[in-house]
Amino acid sequence: MLSWLFRRKRIEQDLDAELRSHFEMAVADRIAAGEDPASARLAAKREFGNELQAREEARQVWRGGLVALLSDLWQDVRFGTRMLFKNPGFSFVVIAVLSLGIAGNAAIFSLFKGLALKPLPGVTDSSQLSVVLGRTIDGRGIGMSVPDYRDFKAADQAFANLSASQMIFASFGRGVDAQRIVAELVTGTYFDALGVTAQLGRTLSASDDVAPGQHPVAVISDTLWRQSLAADPAVIGKTIYLNGQPLTVVGVAEREFNGTVVSMGVDVFAPVMMQPVIAGPSRLDSRGIFSMMVRGQLKPGIGVAAANAQAELFTRQLTAEHPLTNFTRRYEVVPIWQSPFGAQTYFLPAIAVLGGMGVLILLIVCANVANLVLVRGLSRRGELGVRLALGASRARLVRLLLVENLILAIPGALAGVALASFILPYVAMGAASSAPSRVFLDTTVDGYVLLFAIGVAGACALVFGFVPALRASRLELTTALNDVSPRMAARGRMRAMLVVSQVAASLVLLVFAGLVLRSYAAAQHASGGFDATGVTSVAIDLQTAGYDEPRGRVLVNRLLDTIETEPAFSTGALAMNSPMSLVDGASRQTQIEGYAPRPDEDMLFLYNVVSPAYFQTLRIPLLAGRDFTRTDGPASQGVVIVNETLARRFWQSPADAIGKRLRSGGDWKIVVGVAGDLKYSRLSEAPRPFAYYSLLQHYVPAFAIQARATGDVSYAMRRVRDHMQSLDATIPIVKPTTLGEQTRAALNVYQLAASALTMFGVMTIVLAAIGIYGLVAYTVRQSTQEIGIRMAIGASRSAVVWTFLGRGTWLAGIGAVIGLVVAIAVSGAIASLLYGVGARDLVSFSGGTAVVMATALLASLLPAWRASRVDPLTALRRN
Amino acid sequence: MEPKRYRPRLEILQGTLDMLILQTLQWGPQHGYAIGQTIRTQSAESLKIETGSLYPALHRLEKQEWVKSDWRMTEANQRAKFYRLTPKGKKQLLQERDRWSQLVSAIGTILNPKRSKG
Repeated sequence: MLSWLFRRKRIEQDLDAELRSHFEMAVADRIAAGEDPASARLAAKREFGNELQAREEARQVWRGGLVALLSDLWQDVRFGTRMLFKNPGFSFVVIAVLSLGIAGNAAIFSLFKGLALKPLPGVTDSSQLSVVLGRTIDGRGIGMSVPDYRDFKAADQAFANLSASQMIFASFGRGVDAQRIVAELVTGTYFDALGVTAQLGRTLSASDDVAPGQHPVAVISDTLWRQSLAADPAVIGKTIYLNGQPLTVVGVAEREFNGTVVSMGVDVFAPVMMQPVIAGPSRLDSRGIFSMMVRGQLKPGIGVAAANAQAELFTRQLTAEHPLTNFTRRYEVVPIWQSPFGAQTYFLPAIAVLGGMGVLILLIVCANVANLVLVRGLSRRGELGVRLALGASRARLVRLLLVENLILAIPGALAGVALASFILPYVAMGAASSAPSRVFLDTTVDGYVLLFAIGVAGACALVFGFVPALRASRLELTTALNDVSPRMAARGRMRAMLVVSQVAASLVLLVFAGLVLRSYAAAQHASGGFDATGVTSVAIDLQTAGYDEPRGRVLVNRLLDTIETEPAFSTGALAMNSPMSLVDGASRQTQIEGYAPRPDEDMLFLYNVVSPAYFQTLRIPLLAGRDFTRTDGPASQGVVIVNETLARRFWQSPADAIGKRLRSGGDWKIVVGVAGDLKYSRLSEAPRPFAYYSLLQHYVPAFAIQARATGDVSYAMRRVRDHMQSLDATIPIVKPTTLGEQTRAALNVYQLAASALTMFGVMTIVLAAIGIYGLVAYTVRQSTQEIGIRMAIGASRSAVVWTFLGRGTWLAGIGAVIGLVVAIAVSGAIASLLYGVGARDLVSFSGGTAVVMATALLASLLPAWRASRVDPLTALRRN
Repeated sequence: MEPKRYRPRLEILQGTLDMLILQTLQWGPQHGYAIGQTIRTQSAESLKIETGSLYPALHRLEKQEWVKSDWRMTEANQRAKFYRLTPKGKKQLLQERDRWSQLVSAIGTILNPKRSKG
């Protein structure tokens, strides 16, 4: 670049000297021929002709295509930058408006990046990972059993690496200080396959994963190391307790790594061979428990389809070799973003919708900026006219204007990204605060986001710059140079169109925001089939405190006694899982007496283990039969309560189900009751079969105390703690919260969508207001003379106000009608985000329209009022 | 001032200026002004080369490496940029002359069809 600049300079000087010498020689010739010096110079000059043209053309000769382009571009950039500083007000407004639009989009993109592009931070090429998952015949995604994984890995030809892990919720630490964390039990290949290293010590390897229960070692996360272990540099070799079991820390994982559960922060990694010790009965040899999440990078050249074919073959072999244990599922390979595990499954649809909204808001921003550029184009008509007159080509002019817009776009993008990183925590973390565990989503503003923002801003610049630039380049020379007349009303047509489209787009956004807000409100009041208000949910873990089953059973009974007599609770119960916990709880292969399932039928049913009075406490209706009682003990007949869906699937009615038998693994259990359906994981789920087992028969060491408060729920919470303290102070209270708080996690999606859409809605309405205000104000300014005449011949001030109010609201009206039509047409697209509200909800539609029209009215009011203040005398004198 | 007379001017055909310049340079290096003058006198004043065409043409030829330039002193002791023909330029000149005579004969045939018969 530099050498080229020097060369250009030299050519220029050379040409100068050459032309000068030519001129001197011509003069000398004339003098020699007898002319006097003065007239000789004059004649020579005349003869010389258009020196500028000669110079320009000779210069052109020396420039190749690219060099010429670069040189022109450089010129345009310099000029554009100067213009930017010359017009700080205009530049500021454009950059501000643009950065608003970019910010919203960059924020959404960051979320998208966190979920889909960089789902597992710290893992090499995590977006390229493929997941091996089982599918029940209903299409529900499940994991792989440990033996299946072993066989699959042995037979595999498609993967360059494979690793598997199962996620567990576990208590970390002992006694009252224990905390609930997410842990992963991993295969020996886990760290190597994912390309994750240790910042301290070592990671786990194949030798840590050989024999069940023999490798009490763990790698901990950077977060756990810093937050719970004070970043102790000598942590290697120390003992930590996971579910009460001692593990020796062998390493701290690299800082970025947060495990392989998308959006969840995993804090401890232990060998899967430790599962029987850490997390209850061994699943290592059962082909019926599908707990392993399997993932890996495919070999180069092998696609998902080929990997799938292999998985299908594997399924067939497996079914042939183990016909009894292998029903109801087939294995398949999907890209990680399609994996049904982790947050992406329920966040991605929301983000797709938000992305669509983002595009819409971007268009509004573009329209607004185009408007500004158009107006400025008017004031630059003179300048552009001069350029054309001096011989600038129209193409060159268009390019100059585009370059100017690009120069505005870059700071717009940067400001937008800065703004996005400022608002992101509010959007993302607002949604995460109520999640069941530490949520980890990499939404940091990085190269991806920056690139995205600059790309979007560039595209915007082209869109908003192109139309005005084309218009400007089409100007007629004579009118441009002479134009001082106010007759430019016709040029308002394009601006009017822009305003109409802005109003339409903002109405669409407002209607959607209304729909989602109302869904959120409805979801907040949604029961999910139970009533969580005023119910505590205090999770305790007996295993961590060293309780075995007999001691645990004693404590459970004492707890139930305490709950029954405590006046702060009207009723209370113990339950293994809570409803609407966002993730599917435990499920079991279930057998129905007298029913032969089709070979491919999904008989894997979710279940919960609860104490008596559970249904009463959560106000879940019992449709038939009875509740569990204290007498349904370990010695008496096994009982089960099923939900309505299960009852109706296998027996005609809830009443018919009573007395029938089913079993999962152990003895046959008699159905003693049928409970109403709940939303077990999410609000949006379809009804599914569910079974309840009695805690007094089916002991589990970890459960939550769910008691309905007679009065204040926080007092009830305190009473739960007091009782636990007096029963056994060493039992860790893992998570003291209320059921309402806990189930709110299921509302994350609605909350995220609602907050983002509201933000967008407010932004667009502000932008539309600016647009309408600008247009009306501009029309008023252009029509000052007309107003003067009208008033001079007797128009009243209110008539003038009405005229201009009419113009603004008329345009807004057209925009609103278009917006309504569009909103009705596309409202089906956001159906996935709606709950309890129809896609054509009248309240949202009429509310949005009312807001838009009121804003339009307000935005036109000020300029219209100003129009009425015009003094006819001054107005008429002006021209 | 005398009124402008209508004087039919010979316009140089597109592309022929380059050939004329090369032809002029055949007799030795010359500077731009001299080239213009030579073409003018040799065409008996009927071809007048505009400065605005001459210099772009010279630079064009130089870029094609058909001529080379350097600064020298003229006889009148003035600094001027002299152009001289390169071997490549000589070849180009021959080609262009060839093409020109073909063109002339072709046009001649059209204008005087009889002669071509005989």
